[in-house]
Amino acid sequence: MSRLEEIAHRHDDALLSEGSRVPTGAPILELKGLQKNYGYVQALKPATITFLAGEVHAIVGENGAGKSTLIKLLTGVIPRTAGEVLWCGHPVELATPNEAIARGINAVHQEVVLCPHLTVAANLFLGDEVNQYGLMRKKQMEKMAQSVLDDLGFGLPAGAPLGALTIGQQQLVATARAAMRGTQFLIFDEPTAYLTRQESAQLFKLIRRLQGEGVTIVYISHRMEEVFELADRVSVLRDGTHVGTRNIGETNETELIALMINRSIEQIYHKEEIPIGQPILETRGLSGPGFEDISLTVRAGEIVGLYGLIGAGRSEFALGVYGRQPVSAGEVYWMGKKVQIRNERTAMDLGIALAPESRRDQGLCLNLPIGLNINLPVFNRLSRGPVLSRSDEAANADRQIRDLSIKTPSRRVLASSMSGGNQQKIVIGKWLSHGARLFIFDEPTVGVDVGTKAEIYRLFAKLLREGAGIILISSYLPEVYELADRLHVFRGGRLVGSHDFHAASHEDVLAQAIGV
Amino acid sequence: MAITSTESAAVAPRRGMNVLFSLTLIGLLFALWIALGIGTASFWTPLNISNLLRQGAMTAILAVGQTFVIITAGIDLSVGAIVGFSTVVMAWLLQAGFPLWVAIVATLLVGVAIGAFHGFGIVRMGLPPFIITLATLTSLRGVGLLITNGSTISITNEAFTNFARADFLGIPSLFWMVILIAVPAYVFLHLSRWGRYLFAVGSNSEAARLSGVNVNRTIYMAYILSASCAAFVGILLASRIGIGNATQAEGWELQAIASSVIGGTSLFGAVGSVHGPLIGAFILATINNGANLLNVNSFWQRIITGLLIIVIVYFDQLRRRGSR
Repeated sequence: MSRLEEIAHRHDDALLSEGSRVPTGAPILELKGLQKNYGYVQALKPATITFLAGEVHAIVGENGAGKSTLIKLLTGVIPRTAGEVLWCGHPVELATPNEAIARGINAVHQEVVLCPHLTVAANLFLGDEVNQYGLMRKKQMEKMAQSVLDDLGFGLPAGAPLGALTIGQQQLVATARAAMRGTQFLIFDEPTAYLTRQESAQLFKLIRRLQGEGVTIVYISHRMEEVFELADRVSVLRDGTHVGTRNIGETNETELIALMINRSIEQIYHKEEIPIGQPILETRGLSGPGFEDISLTVRAGEIVGLYGLIGAGRSEFALGVYGRQPVSAGEVYWMGKKVQIRNERTAMDLGIALAPESRRDQGLCLNLPIGLNINLPVFNRLSRGPVLSRSDEAANADRQIRDLSIKTPSRRVLASSMSGGNQQKIVIGKWLSHGARLFIFDEPTVGVDVGTKAEIYRLFAKLLREGAGIILISSYLPEVYELADRLHVFRGGRLVGSHDFHAASHEDVLAQAIGV
Repeated sequence: MAITSTESAAVAPRRGMNVLFSLTLIGLLFALWIALGIGTASFWTPLNISNLLRQGAMTAILAVGQTFVIITAGIDLSVGAIVGFSTVVMAWLLQAGFPLWVAIVATLLVGVAIGAFHGFGIVRMGLPPFIITLATLTSLRGVGLLITNGSTISITNEAFTNFARADFLGIPSLFWMVILIAVPAYVFLHLSRWGRYLFAVGSNSEAARLSGVNVNRTIYMAYILSASCAAFVGILLASRIGIGNATQAEGWELQAIASSVIGGTSLFGAVGSVHGPLIGAFILATINNGANLLNVNSFWQRIITGLLIIVIVYFDQLRRRGSR
């Protein structure tokens, strides 16, 4: 018996052992017409899915397809509207997260929800500490934690504060934590989004190992190659509907994508022949916090791609150009004239728009209505004297909602209730209503579904046709590679390579970004 | 992707909820009035009603100012101290022989200066609002006591002291002052872009900044408005009690915050209105007034206020959770 199982067996109580009695291949969790409505919106239409004990069951779908809703229902975070859930053949409520955990249903989320200030060991045992005479056995817990980590081959120090680890390592800790609780049913929500290749490999190893011990795995991902590498079966969701479940051997990528989107994959990267005009923005030796000596030019009708790893200085450069960060050296030329951009207003007035990297932290006022978010940059235009024109306000917001097909019943709905793709459209709508000559899009398609991606790329072409220039920042190489007329590679805050459209191979660009 | 018919047919849930919440608050206020009218003989007398309106007026004005600050996800703990300090400034200037209008304008300017100092501490020095306003809370009381040497300054200007007792069209002049503040405050918060900016800064100041909102100026504005409202209340209080005394208005900042919160303002920012805190202030005033009439031990009033805050904010939480 491994260390992991030994520790997990501390939890051999009645509720938990129920799940472990189900033989491999028999149904462990059955959803019968499970349904969730938020007011008028059907987030999950009646779904009937069976999960078999010991399988890796992938769930794929675009953003807003209902994947998160499904996880929240299974982990007891939200109550269902209708339908039945059978756990080991018995109907269960799953009314609270504690009930789900007590039955052995756990989830590892994309964003780690643990305490960064506590040690790895303390996090592993959080809420379940080893006590003697009412006092914590810190040394013993640390030793046990270390033996589990070593056993899993993670090579992580149990005594280090969790916050000192990378996001990927933290995710491994979260997974180990779930495994230590004698989990029977483990849900992974896009776990590899922030992981390096090596960390992903470690995670996959752990998933296979848990599967070997009889744990049922639900694996949610955008990445097709992972689904085909790991899963036994795959279920597809589209617009809140369960559109099918396939054995992995009897399907292929094309079929799954067709189920997911009803639209062909070639239509995604949309690039038009647009004549390139005069320079709009030129930076010469621009330096600031996080970037150094950056010289590049953006011309009308052109997409300039900035590629690099996270933290390579691309976003910092964008914030510097936009006046959010002070620039320490170098020059900026706008339409051939030297300018000083000291704050965001100056940048906006010149004609620069920035759709920032993080929608949640920089892009949106989440707990305010969609309409207010769209109008935020243009309120000074919607005012007649000191008082706002409410009809102009409504008209401007509704026009963007219509033009961008933001899926909402009303502009008064809070931005937080929108899916990732729709939130990105709100951010874009802000800047379309303001108007600009230079649009900076920082990771515009992270967490955005394929359909919305295609819409965003078509929008790029429209902006270019109207004579704008675009800076496209992305960590997803195919995106910048297929779209950018000129591709600049960043590493460690410096510009390390510049290529015309398709002039360098994927491998060369990647090698420059990593620095090998 | 077209919007389906079911979605476009859906009514906007948020506005409906807000109206519902306001109606519930007004309903609560009326229910209190009716209950007190039945329970006591003296509630519905002209004298008591004008008393009630006078009692509620000052908290109401403070609560409106406080709400601007809370919407930016800040807090202004200094308003009670500013009220006390303003009575001293007012009395001192009148004693020194300045004309009444000079004294009023100067006192209001003192409020503006204190608010600007709060803005400076938050924006330039990076202090949390709680800390900088807590610091002014204690030091302003000290400055006021230093000026008066611990005693009180009497105000002899009859015209000024009569004002708080006067009526206009049968309604106490102090209540007219609430209307004088509330109408422009409503226009400012709900109908002007500056109001929108307050909400945006309270929701996500970085997003507001990147959208071209001058975040620093917005924060200055909120604290200056709050402190100015407090200075204005100080002038009204000086008129009402006829003295300047730095220890007056003890704990009024908590009354103002309570009124604002009862009126639906979220301490996390970005949620609030002008009418909510006004109703909240008069609910609190009614409870105090009713407790007096019913001969309830005044200590109970504090306990009831506390319970009321818990109940109302809890119901508001339930409502928000339900609409999510």
